Amino acid sequence: MKDPVEQTRAQMVDNMEDQRKTISELQTPVIQVWEGILALPIVGTVDSARAQQMTEALLDRITATGASVVLLDITAVPTVDTAFAKHLIETIAAARLLGTDVMVVGLTTHTALTLVHLGVDLEGVVTRTTMAKGLELAFDRLGFEVVRRTPLVDVAHP
Amino acid sequence: MSRIPVIRVEDVLIASVLEDVTDSDAVALQSELGHQLEVRGAKGVLIDLSVVGIVDSFLGRVLAEVAAMSRLLGAPTVIAGIQPAVAVTLVELGVRLAGVRTALTSDAGMRMLREGRAGGRHVGRR
Repeated sequence: MKDPVEQTRAQMVDNMEDQRKTISELQTPVIQVWEGILALPIVGTVDSARAQQMTEALLDRITATGASVVLLDITAVPTVDTAFAKHLIETIAAARLLGTDVMVVGLTTHTALTLVHLGVDLEGVVTRTTMAKGLELAFDRLGFEVVRRTPLVDVAHP
Repeated sequence: MSRIPVIRVEDVLIASVLEDVTDSDAVALQSELGHQLEVRGAKGVLIDLSVVGIVDSFLGRVLAEVAAMSRLLGAPTVIAGIQPAVAVTLVELGVRLAGVRTALTSDAGMRMLREGRAGGRHVGRR
């Protein structure tokens, strides 16, 4: 006869294993948002293994698409620490060596203050609060202009 | 004698680094570029690394030095064609090539130099 407490514990460990597997399977998606512009949304915490995987995926996509601007979105990163900042800086440095401009978007007041308190030097890295602002800047760099006009198709009655 | 030839195209000095570049090749390239810039000058320097798959800290340092030297001699440097694995290695070695412009391909690098987007003053003749 098994101890019920022990049984529950074993089940929880199993669940955790499954979750860990699912998380590791979630690849870091590198999205091409426009000709020459890539976006990399970072979700959750980043350890060195994940940072390495992220960097490799990003560099491969840069060479494959010939992108000249990359938007690193850190909106969904819950906590920023020195290790994360180090990974971020290294990814940016590697992408720059390929000739790509990297912008960090999705900074909140909290993230910005934490980075300042940690003494992290993001000098030379362009940062914006939202993906939209980053995209606007990327368009400007690539010489695109976004113009508002009356839509051709009425969305309400297509 | 350097195994890396330096050629001049449209007033830009171009050097394509070989796959099996040695330390002495790198140093020879450095002095050859220095000599060319001193004697004739140039609008820019383009170093192509597209065939280089392995770099060490020495080559990284020499490249950073070449870029800094060229800038002092009035020619901005663009390093083009760095492979992803090489970029990761350079970052791990602490070689950030700060102040050096990089380009994905030699073609893009050449365009940067021609349009004067590689830093340094560019005075064009129209």
